[in-house]
Amino acid sequence: MFKKLLACAAALATLAAIPAEARTEKIKVHGASLEGNLEGNSADRDVYVFLPPSYDSNASKRYPVVYFLHGYFATADAYENLVKFQEAVDEAAAAGNELIVVLPDAHTKFKGAMYSNSVTTGDFEGFVTRDLVSHIDSNYRTLARAESRGLSGHSMGGYGTLKIVMKYPGIYSSMYAMAPCCLSPSAITLEQARGAASMTPEQIEAADFGAAAAAASLAAWAPDPNNPPNFIAVDEKDGKLSPVITARLHANSPLVLLSQSVPQLKAMTAIGIDVGDKDFLLADDTAMHNELNRFGVTHDWEVFEGDHGNRVAARVRSDLLPFFGKHLAK
Amino acid sequence: MKLTKWAAGVLALMTLTVASAQAQNITAPPAAVPNGITVEEVKVHSAAVAGNLEGNSAERSAMVVLPPSYASNPNKRYPVIYYLHGFSIDGRNFYNFMKVPEAVAANAAQGREFIVVVPDTLTKMGGSMYSNSVTTGDFQTFIAKDLVAYIDGKYRTIASRDGRGLVGHSMGGYGTWRIAMRYPEVYAAIWAQSACCVSPRTETVESATAMANVPYADVDKAGFGMRAGLASAVAWAPNPNNPPYYVDFPLKDGKVDQFVIAQWAANSPLALVASHVDALKSFKAIGSDVGDKDGLIRDDTMMHEELQKFGVAHEWAVYEGTHTDKIGQRFSEIVLPFMAGHLAK
Repeated sequence: MFKKLLACAAALATLAAIPAEARTEKIKVHGASLEGNLEGNSADRDVYVFLPPSYDSNASKRYPVVYFLHGYFATADAYENLVKFQEAVDEAAAAGNELIVVLPDAHTKFKGAMYSNSVTTGDFEGFVTRDLVSHIDSNYRTLARAESRGLSGHSMGGYGTLKIVMKYPGIYSSMYAMAPCCLSPSAITLEQARGAASMTPEQIEAADFGAAAAAASLAAWAPDPNNPPNFIAVDEKDGKLSPVITARLHANSPLVLLSQSVPQLKAMTAIGIDVGDKDFLLADDTAMHNELNRFGVTHDWEVFEGDHGNRVAARVRSDLLPFFGKHLAK
Repeated sequence: MKLTKWAAGVLALMTLTVASAQAQNITAPPAAVPNGITVEEVKVHSAAVAGNLEGNSAERSAMVVLPPSYASNPNKRYPVIYYLHGFSIDGRNFYNFMKVPEAVAANAAQGREFIVVVPDTLTKMGGSMYSNSVTTGDFQTFIAKDLVAYIDGKYRTIASRDGRGLVGHSMGGYGTWRIAMRYPEVYAAIWAQSACCVSPRTETVESATAMANVPYADVDKAGFGMRAGLASAVAWAPNPNNPPYYVDFPLKDGKVDQFVIAQWAANSPLALVASHVDALKSFKAIGSDVGDKDGLIRDDTMMHEELQKFGVAHEWAVYEGTHTDKIGQRFSEIVLPFMAGHLAK
């Protein structure tokens, strides 16, 4: 009997000696900002919350939070699978960098919200900056202040990171954009707009990356509540897409927006941007780096060996999480 | 060039008034101050404007017009109307032209008491465009943050969104639209009078070349339309490495530089409405008006239609008048009563 107890206690002791592992919660967060969007995208979004190992054992500790926005043509599930954030958070904690990572889903009818504010797609800017932050701060032991809040993302998520930081100062203190897309002003033709505006669900399903991305951009940046079924603007002037519609696309380009947001960018504690040397976005992302330099905005910039997607998981571990560990207040 | 219409409209104003020989800015005779009205000119330091490359002062003047009961009723707090002036005029002369003290007195006599604040944003180029430029200064933040903090700190205001209205004329109407979209949490109600610069501005190689060829020393003599173009350029396409203007003119390799045109376009209210619908819908009330003889009627009507398309409730009026002949009267008789109906008392 006694032996059994001892064996049991020994087993327990062994269990206790094994470091606890990061715990993942997959939750739904209601986005009031997303209600009533014309595409019928759900206002109740999947959100992964990756908690550090000490979260349950240290019930009074509060943690910095890194929000990570996924890329286009994908979902939060796909990025969870791609990056294995659970492991990454665990490894960071083992290195003394304890933080919570939050990965919201922004998949839409056209396969990506562009993290923009559109009556067609939904106000994903409001979802990310208000609904999500307030839900996480109310339900988890976060350090609920800008100094301890970081925003990051890959590709479309890198785009969202840059644009949201410029447009909503004071919520995040540090940001990291991995291979951000969609930085240059888009040139979309009337034919492309008409094509996107009339795509059937079957055509959307079958669309390749480029065609779907153009349609997603239009839904996010050039909505028209009076033009069903896809609620995309096709206003014409002199046989071309109306300059007002083109202007709306331009008004969502981070390269264009930068010069109206210099003090807000300079107020950030830290900005990081990276891109692979074989990434098709290298030129665009380098233009962003140069533009930040031109306006004297200090930032970390790295061109690494790789393409658009092959180093995301590795660089979340080697660069992104350590970056936030260095810059977010604990 | 889009701006010619605006220029023509405002030239009418210039002929009504005495243009100073120096900088061609519009002046108006001192406003009468009715009994009971107190006017103070304050200097507001703007951290947001400090360090701009054009050398515009960070110490900005603001005319503050206090209602009759302000002195006698030391416990009362008042709603504040911020009133933004147009291009090629300073705050004091706009206050004069609009006869702001008389408007405050007339409304107070009807039981509608406000503090009205007219900030000055005149710049080297003739106007800040109320934008956020390293060249001009971040006047957008000056209006929405620095000025509001100063006024709330110094006067007995209703120091919350419910007690603040934003109004402007012409370039000030433009400023009203863009500041309202960017900082909706600051004001409860807004009104744009004859707003300029609503459509994306475009250039030809010829017009862009003419703009780029204005000698820096001759800006003051360049004429209203050209100065307005230069002011827009430095506000929307600043370049800290390109003195003396510190601007990217919309000209590159003999062609119109489409990136600069895109930067300008991104500052046009018509381009911004679609991505700020929630901000616009958050206001208690929005108003906009324009005269039927104002060259800006087409642009302002487009803005009205854009708001309608996105379901943003607003008052809209086209009245008999030009760009300038009814604006003072309408500020007193239409805009201030509208604000009284929507702001906290």
